[in-house]
Amino acid sequence: MNNTVLELENISYKYKNDLILNKINLKINSGEKIALLGKSGSGKTTLISILNGTIKPTQGEVKLFNESFEELDRKQKSKITTIWQDLRLIEDLSAEQNVNCGLLAENNFYFAFKNLLNISSFKKAHKYMKLCRLHNSIYDKKIRKLSGGQKQRVAIARSLIQESNILLADEPFNNLDPKLITTIKNLLLENVDKNKIKKSPKTALVALHRLDLLNDFDKVIGMRDGKIFFNLKRNNLKKIHLEKIY
Amino acid sequence: MNKLKLNYTSLSFLPILVCIPLGYQLINNIHFGGFKLFQEFLISAFNPKINNEIIFTVIKRLNETILIGFFSWLVSIIFGAIFGIISSNIFYKIFNIPNFFYRIIRFFLTIIRSIHEVVWGILLMQIYGINFSIGIIAICIPYIAVNSKVFAEQLETIDYKSFESINQINAPKFSSLLTLIWNPIINTFKNFGLYRFECSIRSTVILGLFGIGGIGTSIFLSFQTLNFRELWTYLWSLAILIILSGLIFKKIKFNTTNKILSIFFISVFFITILFSFSYFLYFIFNNNFENFNSASSLFKSSSDLGLFDFLKLILETIILSLLSTGIAISLPPLVIGIFNNNTSKIFIKFFAFLLRLIPTPVILLTLLTFNSPSVSLAALTLGLHNAGITSKLLFTNLDSQDKRNYIAMKSLGISKKTSWLLGLFSQQAKSYLAYCAYRSDIIIRETAIVGVIGSVGLGWQLQESLSSFAWQEVTLVLIAYSSIAIVGELINGKIKNSLT
Repeated sequence: MNNTVLELENISYKYKNDLILNKINLKINSGEKIALLGKSGSGKTTLISILNGTIKPTQGEVKLFNESFEELDRKQKSKITTIWQDLRLIEDLSAEQNVNCGLLAENNFYFAFKNLLNISSFKKAHKYMKLCRLHNSIYDKKIRKLSGGQKQRVAIARSLIQESNILLADEPFNNLDPKLITTIKNLLLENVDKNKIKKSPKTALVALHRLDLLNDFDKVIGMRDGKIFFNLKRNNLKKIHLEKIY
Repeated sequence: MNKLKLNYTSLSFLPILVCIPLGYQLINNIHFGGFKLFQEFLISAFNPKINNEIIFTVIKRLNETILIGFFSWLVSIIFGAIFGIISSNIFYKIFNIPNFFYRIIRFFLTIIRSIHEVVWGILLMQIYGINFSIGIIAICIPYIAVNSKVFAEQLETIDYKSFESINQINAPKFSSLLTLIWNPIINTFKNFGLYRFECSIRSTVILGLFGIGGIGTSIFLSFQTLNFRELWTYLWSLAILIILSGLIFKKIKFNTTNKILSIFFISVFFITILFSFSYFLYFIFNNNFENFNSASSLFKSSSDLGLFDFLKLILETIILSLLSTGIAISLPPLVIGIFNNNTSKIFIKFFAFLLRLIPTPVILLTLLTFNSPSVSLAALTLGLHNAGITSKLLFTNLDSQDKRNYIAMKSLGISKKTSWLLGLFSQQAKSYLAYCAYRSDIIIRETAIVGVIGSVGLGWQLQESLSSFAWQEVTLVLIAYSSIAIVGELINGKIKNSLT
């Protein structure tokens, strides 16, 4: 049985005259936890942006659940959630309003309206913010007043509240202290008490720089100069592989 | 010999050279017979007429002004925000609408904006006659377009990455749009929208001078009868209204997290939209359009306006705009720089307030008491009025500026004037010039008002053509007028971009 959830077929992406991604082929199966490694500028962020449909590839096709991404409706596309490297939170909204933005896909216009007027329920948002170890004193604070680590966790909570099947994360552990990294890693990779959280993403592709965090991943993909240099099971990863990409 | 190098500071003073040709013509046109009237006008400022009858009239006229001003402000700010949304690129990105429509809407709004509310007012009065609602409509038409430009500009500052992030959540499109634009819209309303109320009041007063009602009509009638004491009663009451409205709006805090207040504002928003639409339908179906029949001859009537005369009018309008802009840019820093002490500052601020307060047609009519109508006189009027506005901005910026450079220069024994110029003004010159570029857009549009009163340029021709129902001429004048304003806006846009 084919359990591929995301698939890239011969993907290339050109920006102006630079070839950012060069003929990428990739299959991500349901439940896989994949670490994406590579130097800055190797194409990791572009790959994530193509996987979530934010940018269209110059060449090739993206498939989600074996269907072309272009042909999917809004509900199907919302099965992917992304944690961006630059967070992309709305600075003028409060932390809880930003987390509630993750619920926009499953709610109607009235919910968006209530969220902006601060009259919607923040119960679910608070639950996820608590899981991300955010203190309740910052719930109603504007994003621009938060520290880097707090902003990072708000972005993670916004992503988790979507309860999507697939998580794409671009360096989600930036700005976090070591203790928090473990908590957040467990949250993102589903190793969490089922009573505390309803559902966390089952499939994850996480771009990383820190090699000491690889333990909980099933597979490791290495990128360099817009190409996939290796795609291996974590146990098969050797020093020589890492030397190729760094 | 060293090559002359211009910097922002010298560029702020250079336009004062327009005073040479302007002064020459003004001196030649002077007639001393009217000086007594002018003197009487000035003295009356300190001795306004106060009795029961006039107080009753002031209250009645101010009520009318506030009503026209308030409703035109409310409608224009709400529809300005709506048009701002549909003329901003974020709307087209979210709904995947081709940019072609974006350009059409923007172009349409630019044309609407290029024609001053007084021109709209005169046109509408000619077609529908004088009534209360014509004043509101005349102000609303260009104001909606002006407000929409400001709202659209603010919406275009939304971080593209926030848009991508919300878009990636795959929320319904209207939810994404609302979430992204909510705060920029609220902030623009707080920072810009409230100030527009004062503009709305000023426009109501100017339209009043042309007979639409309110305090403007009383000002004009008292000027016509040379009853200057009465005129100053109206002007001072207008000053009180403007100061009070400014103070009230400064005190208002818009707390978007206050549920009751938010619901109230949303109700006002929707009620205004519903009321505007229903009034629009009422207006369409209830007007017999008898007067409008004359507009149907728009393309049939012939024009007696010769090409040479027409080009001369266009040239006059352009010269009028340039001369006025020169005065508005250079006069404030020059006067503040020369009379640089605390007592002079108070006088300059008071004089600038008077220039802002007195409607341009009244300034022009006053100056006409001792000078013949000319481009220079119209330019002086428009320049002085706008210098009142630019000086307000300059004072605000200079007062809030870090004064360490200025103090350091003075401590080195440099004169107070030079320290002010190099230590204070030079740091403001760039942003001041950028604001003046924006102001010159408005000056071009305002040439119509002084044109009508001062017998110069396209404004005067418009009045003449409308009086004789020469609709083809009216169309020609409007096209020319609009084209000058659009070209001016494009040039000023380039200047502004290079300065910011």
